[in-house]
Amino acid sequence: MLANGQFAPSKNMNDTLYANGDSVVVTANRSERKLSNVTVPVTIINSKTIQQNGSLRLTDILQEQTGLTLTSGFGVGVQLQGLNPDYTIILINGEPLVGRTAGVLDLNRVALGNIKKIEIVKGPSSSLYGSEAMAGVINIITDASTSIPLLASLRYGTYNTLDASVNNTLASKSLFYQGFYNYYTTDGYSIRPNSNNRVTTPITRLTTSQQFKYKLSDNTSLVFNTRLTDENIKSNIAVSNGGVTIYSNGEEHNTDVNLTGSLNHRFSNHLKTSFRSYLTNYVSNQDLLTLSGAPYTDLLNHLFQRVENQTDWTLSKNLSGIFGAGEVWEGVKSSRYDSEKVRKNNTIQYGFTQWEWAPIEKLILVGGVRFDQNANYASAWSPKLSMLYKINAQHKIKLSVGQGFKAPDFRQLYLDFTNAAAGNYSVFGSSEAQKVIGQLNSLGQIGALYSNYYQLKSLQPESSTGIHLSWDWTPNQKTFISTQIFRNDIKNLIQVQQVGAYMSGAQIFSYLNIGRAFTNGAEIETKYQLNQHWTLSGGYQFIVTGDKDEIAQINAGTVYTRNTLGVSSRLTISDYVGLPNISKHKAQFKINYVTEDGFFANCRFVYRSKWAVNNTDGNQVYDTGDTFAEGYVSAFTSLGKNYKNGLSLQVGCDNVTNYVDASNLSNLPGRTFYFSIKYQLINKK
Amino acid sequence: MKKLFTQISLVSFLTFTLFACSKSSDTTVVNNTPVTATVKDLMADTVLGLDPTSGMPYSAGKYTFYSIENNAIVSNADSATTKWDLAFASTKILTNGGTSGTGKGGAFIYKGLFDDIKTIASDSVFKTDNAPTAYAITTGSGNGWYTYDGASNLITPIAGRIIVIKTASGKYAKLEIQSYYKGGVTLSPTATDAEKLTKSRYYTFRYTYQPNGTTTF
Repeated sequence: MLANGQFAPSKNMNDTLYANGDSVVVTANRSERKLSNVTVPVTIINSKTIQQNGSLRLTDILQEQTGLTLTSGFGVGVQLQGLNPDYTIILINGEPLVGRTAGVLDLNRVALGNIKKIEIVKGPSSSLYGSEAMAGVINIITDASTSIPLLASLRYGTYNTLDASVNNTLASKSLFYQGFYNYYTTDGYSIRPNSNNRVTTPITRLTTSQQFKYKLSDNTSLVFNTRLTDENIKSNIAVSNGGVTIYSNGEEHNTDVNLTGSLNHRFSNHLKTSFRSYLTNYVSNQDLLTLSGAPYTDLLNHLFQRVENQTDWTLSKNLSGIFGAGEVWEGVKSSRYDSEKVRKNNTIQYGFTQWEWAPIEKLILVGGVRFDQNANYASAWSPKLSMLYKINAQHKIKLSVGQGFKAPDFRQLYLDFTNAAAGNYSVFGSSEAQKVIGQLNSLGQIGALYSNYYQLKSLQPESSTGIHLSWDWTPNQKTFISTQIFRNDIKNLIQVQQVGAYMSGAQIFSYLNIGRAFTNGAEIETKYQLNQHWTLSGGYQFIVTGDKDEIAQINAGTVYTRNTLGVSSRLTISDYVGLPNISKHKAQFKINYVTEDGFFANCRFVYRSKWAVNNTDGNQVYDTGDTFAEGYVSAFTSLGKNYKNGLSLQVGCDNVTNYVDASNLSNLPGRTFYFSIKYQLINKK
Repeated sequence: MKKLFTQISLVSFLTFTLFACSKSSDTTVVNNTPVTATVKDLMADTVLGLDPTSGMPYSAGKYTFYSIENNAIVSNADSATTKWDLAFASTKILTNGGTSGTGKGGAFIYKGLFDDIKTIASDSVFKTDNAPTAYAITTGSGNGWYTYDGASNLITPIAGRIIVIKTASGKYAKLEIQSYYKGGVTLSPTATDAEKLTKSRYYTFRYTYQPNGTTTF
């Protein structure tokens, strides 16, 4: 970091939001743009912030961003603009990670050791990225600089958490190689006293990543990247049913392989093209034994392959465009489908284009559209329009309107799961449900079929329309204020619905396109540089969410709630709280101190207001009478020094106030401490 | 002992007594005023313990029979009579008719508020028990009067579900279940498993019964 001349201490605007106008953003346009010319809301988290905050995994750094909330359950996911983790696409160098469980991609999978920066684009971005980019895009960009030939780091902390990384770079005129090796292990922790059920079980993770670049000529290069994450989790699961708790022990083994190859050619300064191919395979294998010796296995194998071409064409100084097209072959095998031997497949063909036009110097207009068609569900058009107007040096206005979609996932299409551990209920994917339930019915096992059973048909993608308006204000060199309001309208939400019942009364569920929802909010981010040492920054998000059908029912007077005596009354709209797991208020604040000789220290605070977790009155709607998790503040601090000879030392404490909530915040351990040592060999320029 | 667990709420008891007094001079004792009562902590086959070998909870496996008309528990010896109107065992509630009893009993679940039912709609269909597949008071989570949360193992009455009852003698009542837990307080999801077992199967409910045989309350 020290070698990085652009981060001179006096201009240490190093945080997520400010970066500086010359920072380059790739995610917003799928093409390199100066941050000051990007027309949509983007947050950049650079490696310096990641280092100073002491972040190890992607989850660590995302939890401190304004408007982002971590969710736990099936791994740790991220909620963006009030939308669940299913609706944010996670990319590494522009290529998507796959292997979601119940829609959640466990972000602990991503080590931050060789990350140059993280770009977060808020708002629907399917016009460039297709499915899943409904709430936004998180793109993790790995470091490919040649300035540090060797870097080694070691960190140790509470719960025997050890993280060791080596990063080495070799570069000649035409060849570049970088290898990254990371080993992470933790004993896990239990925040529930007197429980043998650990919240986080012992984990070891190995991540390796290799990048090769070969310059065939000044204008042509070949790039090959590999990334492998391999994790072993010691599982110790307790499943309770009717007061009976069954303990199971065993191992969960997850492997995530990513391979990327690309050929890039620049025809001229105006025209370049790139052919990319990507293969990723996520295999998750849970192998457990209950105490009585009964085996329990759960397998998920997700294969995703893609070839794509993208061409960037600059017609003039004011007009440029990109074109892209590609094909995806995707398949999933799972023990939760009818047969774990048979792979369920899908192919997707897509094409997109986006144009950027600056009719006058102060105005940039961007318009794009993407079309995705596939074998398994309805196709999707995703347009987007955005603009940036630079009123003057101090004020900038951005406006964007776009559509996003999320394709039905394999689980929603093919799940065939009966939970023997909890009541023998079944969930069938929509494309199998009628067939499977029909067979059960002919065997006389079905007690009831609901009217919505007859509505089961091929699912539509869930889709959203988002509008974002933001205003960036730089009153002086030391102050930056960005205000944003947004609205997302979502339709065709895919929800689990009971479609029938067995003779025994056990429920049968499937997936239907029924929901309509909205998220509506405002965000403000500020940064103030007091002097060359001290910087203050903070952010706040207010969000209101709701299910439109629920609101219609409440207004029609057909939704009820119960008071503490159990007596029912009509629910009024003022008692409606909207979607579950959403905090209305979220804020973060950071004090940062740096000196010229490389010392740094910071204190960070993250606040989250209460959120609804449990529907206690059985009305299927979240209201003030339901169960909420309490709001809380968590605090983090770290300090360290980067020496001129390449050595860095750091100590830190996370969750300083030791806030824990075992039932609702299993991803937040109690107070933890760590220290780390890092050495980097620096090339003298 | 059983009196300990059932008591008429004071207010309704008073109105009932006052009314009874004022009418006591009449020769024909046709009671036209509906009776409203609250029953607290009616035990419904409560859990006795955990089976040491299987680990499963066990109970006596017996229904608690209840007379809505008399607001009192009926002895199990009278299970084959028309003395009872409802019978409770864990989440299952029987009506005295169909496969369950010799009476004219039945029920249906009304979606709305207790006070919304001033007169039972003339097109209402009272279902009767048809064990073991179908009951007048539908069984199963989300189907009848309660939901079961697999994560917290709690049974919660669904807001706005009123059970409209036909008694064994063919009279009408409306009933709202308020709680399934001892003391009328639904347990917190973080309560211990032992508490969730031992404090469950205690019904608190309120009802209004029309003794004159009409469908108006």
